Amino acid sequence: MKVVIVGCGRVGSQVALKLDGEGHEVTVIDHDAKQLRRFLPSSFNGQTFTGSAIDHRVLVEAGVNRADAFLALTPGDNRNVLASQIAKHIYNVETVVTRLADPFRAELFQRLGLRTFSPTNIGADLAYDALLGT
Amino acid sequence: MYIVIVGAGMVGYGLALELLKFPDHEVVLIEDDAVRAEELREELGEMVVLGDGTEVVFLEEAGAARADLLVAVTRDDGRNLVACQVGKHWFHVDRTIARVSDPRNEPLFKTLGIDATVSVAATALAQIETSLPEHIVVPLMRLQGSGLEVVDLHVQEGSAAEGTAIKDLALPYQTVISLVVGIDGAPRIPTADTIFRAGDEAVAVIDADAEGQLRAIFAGPHMTDAEADSDEHPAAGTGGA
Repeated sequence: MKVVIVGCGRVGSQVALKLDGEGHEVTVIDHDAKQLRRFLPSSFNGQTFTGSAIDHRVLVEAGVNRADAFLALTPGDNRNVLASQIAKHIYNVETVVTRLADPFRAELFQRLGLRTFSPTNIGADLAYDALLGT
Repeated sequence: MYIVIVGAGMVGYGLALELLKFPDHEVVLIEDDAVRAEELREELGEMVVLGDGTEVVFLEEAGAARADLLVAVTRDDGRNLVACQVGKHWFHVDRTIARVSDPRNEPLFKTLGIDATVSVAATALAQIETSLPEHIVVPLMRLQGSGLEVVDLHVQEGSAAEGTAIKDLALPYQTVISLVVGIDGAPRIPTADTIFRAGDEAVAVIDADAEGQLRAIFAGPHMTDAEADSDEHPAAGTGGA
């Protein structure tokens, strides 16, 4: 499966490495070249691109039009939503996963066809379980 | 009409002032920059909400649930898109209008149900182009949905149009010349017998695909083929009232 990931932070890089280890064709985009160097070791087999997640030229260069899946994992909710919808509606990527810190928008855009998840909800649940869980 | 404006920069602020001239409109501005919001509050009072206009909670505070229209005019395409989508799908705002900076995003916004898009850069560009003498067909505004656009035409010396009555010109299908301004600066409603003079300017509604054909009719003989055929005009955004 060909996967394009935008946002190479801790989350993005970890998913990239995991998919790469499983033999998937992974491409990672981040606007900061330092992030790509910092989080992706030389053992990473995929491609990397420096540029904006919402720049059509960068997305096409990264092969979004041939991708089976697109993951928007930057820290910006609105940026992730725009990038995801460009991938889904302009370049017809079948599976689009979007990180949204805001639980309300995560719920809304799930309804509108993106596979969203909210680190806020997940973090809150884990913190609660760590405190009171068995 | 109850109108929520997201982004109180020069565009949002200017729009608010325009809308406030109509007594029937109630306007709320959402601005996430605290300094700017405070500044505007001193001038406009309670109608300015400090917060992120892409978030449910601030849109709620601004009264989006009873809004008839939401206009998102920040500098950021992502924010404008999300503000409109949250307005439309969470608060069921009837009509949403977004400012788009990257013209490549316009079809996406349309696909996603944003009712109208406005490109500030393209509009400014078109306005500059109309004042350049060598421009023959300048797109001013696209009419939503119909495939038609409003253009500004400049009649060049030695062109097919010069000295010819409108009825004798082989104008493309659906072309309507609605106004002619002579070099004396006087506007006239043209008839079929109106004859174009070099230097005349005209406002016309045309099929958006017919720009090239019109350019060939209004261009002078000194124009190279490349110039006459050039279709490299950025669209002036999609209007729609």
